[in-house]
Amino acid sequence: MARPSLPGARRRPRPERGGWRHIPALALALVFCLPLVYMVAGSFRKAGLPPPRTPELLPSPIAFDNYERAFELVDLGRHLLNSIAVAAIAVPLTILFASWAGFAISRLPRRAAAALVGISLVALMVPATALLVPRFALFKTLGLTDTWIPLIAPSLLGTSPFYVLLYAWSFRRLPGDLFEASRLEGLGVLGTWWRVGMPLVRPVTVAVAVLAFVFTWSNFLDPLIYLFDPDKYTLPLGLRSLAQLDRQNFPLLLAGAVVATAPVILAFLYVQRFFLQEHRELG
Amino acid sequence: MRDPERRGIALLLAPYLIGITALIVVPAAITFAMSLFEYDLIRSPNFRGLGNFRELWHDDVFRTSVRNSLWFIAFAVPLRLLGALALALLLHRRFRGVAAYRTAGYLPTIVPDVAYALLWLWIFNPLYGPLNLALGAVSGPTPAWLTDPRAAQAAIVIMSLFQIGEGFVVALAARQAIPGELFELSRVEGASPLYVLRRITLPLMAPVLLLLLARDTIFSFQANFVPALLVTEGGPPLYATTYLPLFVYRTGFEYLRYGYAAAATLTMFALTAAIVYAQYRIVRRWRRAFSF
Amino acid sequence: MASLVLTGVGKRYGEVEALRGLNLEVGEGELLALVGPSGSGKTTALRIVAGLEQPSAGSVRIGARDVTRVPPAARNVSMVFQSYALFPHLSVAENVGFGLRARRVSKGEAGQRVRAAAEIVGCSSLLERKPHELSGGERQRVALARALVREPDLFLLDEPLSNLDAQLRVQMRAELKRLHQRLETTMIYVTHDQYEALTLGDRVAVLGDGVLQQVGPPEEVYDRPINRFVAAFVGTPAMNLLPVEGGRAGPFAVRVPASLAGRALEAGVRPEHVQLGTGDSVEVQLVESAGSETFLHLGWRERTIVARTGAGVRPAVGSSVTVSVAPGHVRLFDAESGSAL
Repeated sequence: MARPSLPGARRRPRPERGGWRHIPALALALVFCLPLVYMVAGSFRKAGLPPPRTPELLPSPIAFDNYERAFELVDLGRHLLNSIAVAAIAVPLTILFASWAGFAISRLPRRAAAALVGISLVALMVPATALLVPRFALFKTLGLTDTWIPLIAPSLLGTSPFYVLLYAWSFRRLPGDLFEASRLEGLGVLGTWWRVGMPLVRPVTVAVAVLAFVFTWSNFLDPLIYLFDPDKYTLPLGLRSLAQLDRQNFPLLLAGAVVATAPVILAFLYVQRFFLQEHRELG
Repeated sequence: MRDPERRGIALLLAPYLIGITALIVVPAAITFAMSLFEYDLIRSPNFRGLGNFRELWHDDVFRTSVRNSLWFIAFAVPLRLLGALALALLLHRRFRGVAAYRTAGYLPTIVPDVAYALLWLWIFNPLYGPLNLALGAVSGPTPAWLTDPRAAQAAIVIMSLFQIGEGFVVALAARQAIPGELFELSRVEGASPLYVLRRITLPLMAPVLLLLLARDTIFSFQANFVPALLVTEGGPPLYATTYLPLFVYRTGFEYLRYGYAAAATLTMFALTAAIVYAQYRIVRRWRRAFSF
Repeated sequence: MASLVLTGVGKRYGEVEALRGLNLEVGEGELLALVGPSGSGKTTALRIVAGLEQPSAGSVRIGARDVTRVPPAARNVSMVFQSYALFPHLSVAENVGFGLRARRVSKGEAGQRVRAAAEIVGCSSLLERKPHELSGGERQRVALARALVREPDLFLLDEPLSNLDAQLRVQMRAELKRLHQRLETTMIYVTHDQYEALTLGDRVAVLGDGVLQQVGPPEEVYDRPINRFVAAFVGTPAMNLLPVEGGRAGPFAVRVPASLAGRALEAGVRPEHVQLGTGDSVEVQLVESAGSETFLHLGWRERTIVARTGAGVRPAVGSSVTVSVAPGHVRLFDAESGSAL
């Protein structure tokens, strides 16, 4: 039973015709998911068997012990916890420092802000390899090699100047009256940042959190050059150890890969609605 | 701006400025300076002037690395851009289920590098990886992915094609930024979908696409480190998949020739800048020719 | 040039019915103003005529053809959007010629027709510029030129003047009217501004709540509104509506015909028909002096009545004046249904 539309109702319902798009979209989705499916499928294969004859999706016989073995062979559990610990420290710090810097830039007068944006852009373009060695020298001199500090230190600059620029741009878009009002209320800069700024840029915070989490979790290069004690290894290094120990045992390696991948995928699936739907808000 | 506010802002900026200085600006400056020295972090540095660069010029492994990197970029970047664009054009409308499709397109991008590399190490296994098994089942070619130089390079390219999530998201935003009315008008005016794509959609997306092109080029120069290290280990023999990042890493951390590695990095940086600049000039000429 | 016939057109979006049972005929060469408040369905109706949306019910005929299922490109209509929808990366000439080139018209011929259209609309000097270099009024001209360059059967205009400032709007309105007279093409003009509708349209169609309330020449819609909705919507300031109690409506004496005795009634009196000098007294609450005329807001009990008077009439706020209305200027409406009696 249809109701007449309310007077004044601003209507722009996009008709949801998917139509023909479903076919190529589905095909592409399957292709993109296929490697991941194989990763999981392969991890359930019984190790040590002669190679499979077909690209099977569901291995037979199925084995669940690859996971157990992975955890036994290289203390994967500890590596998992280490990764979680590092991320748990680095991501909030990233958000803190990136939003601070972005907020500060948005409050600066034109010229100073432009200079900072320029510096950030140049910093973005510097190749990572140009930084490897001097950074290593720096941390070695400070005696901080073989600790997690070098892994967390980048959060000082928000892990990437890109996130700082993202925050700066989002804060800039907020109406100026908000900040006038908060100044009248007696809020200092910090208070304004916390009470006024941050709540209004939640989508950006979510995006930065996810991106920073993915980066920190996957980071292989930094742990590779800074960590020597296997007890301190993060998952990427643990996986590499696994690969070095039992190179041909793919079910085992894939089990490790799944352990390393699952948390990130789960986190992403949880927050992707902010990312992939509301993009109109950010753009 | 009043004083307490000034102080507050300076305070907020402090970590960032310290971080950028200590972790980016100073290291970058040092590296570029180091390229003129021979240094192994133990003995004191040894000035060589342009000696490092001269050696690089004659270094076969280096030349191979540069060649490999350039080939990689020549193939991977356009293909990745096309992939991101295709995904964005296919999935920009909000129809039912589109969120799932978009997520699927983005998923491989967030798989941690090492896990991703191991996964493909298996998929590409010439004997019993799913890819060759599937190809064999339909009587297709079953290249020796990891042992044949050309196939190995192709493998690295293929791996990179699945990770176009960021380009996809950016292209998506660019497509959605075009006002819907322009497309409705095109319908009324009788323009075919292909015409609209050619004269409206692509030209209006062009600035963003150019940005993506540049960024992907920069990125591709630096990023195929993990796959090269783990999957192909820089081999098959003859350093087929030793790309510049791997070269720098090995030279610096395995052979302990930091100065030499720094020179290689500087070269890489210069190359990147040159290519990006060339892209910019070419696209600018196109734009004028086709007036978009 | 063709006529337009809408028969039983309806449009539903899920639960919401945007249009219901729309029957409308537009003659060849006529300028029909389609007017109504936001959400009344007027834009929906226009988009259905353009072919941008499919009706949930009913049919659309342009000339002798049933175009209900025909795509927009094949209907030979042109549309001017509220935001003009100019392609930012194309020059004015390319914008105007877009439809021609898209249909494979040769560059030479397209160029000629573009120049001709620009001439008619008055933007010939702008042909090489880009949209972002143009003012609002200039962009509007370009949009118009583009609409007429294909010589369509039907012009559809969706609130084309809404984005212009007041002075420009008045000027462009006159130009549009002149354009229509010159081209003699059938035009459907959608607007929420009833004043615009009255001045522009050969006929005015009032939409409310997705339903066609009334259609007719401007004077008819203004003087003889078919129901309360139309009466209140058309005319600025709005018609004064007062309940009828015992032969009176507010301070006015109302003659209720015997046939309507016993019915709950409302009486409508237009502000310009309120006469000062005799009758019941009311309190002057507000005096709005608009140069050539004055609007008086008068209080009677808890109600406010607006009167329109000449420039010189300016009683003091708080004072009392007497008001009456000639019997012929009182419109009676059924209090429940709202229809005129």
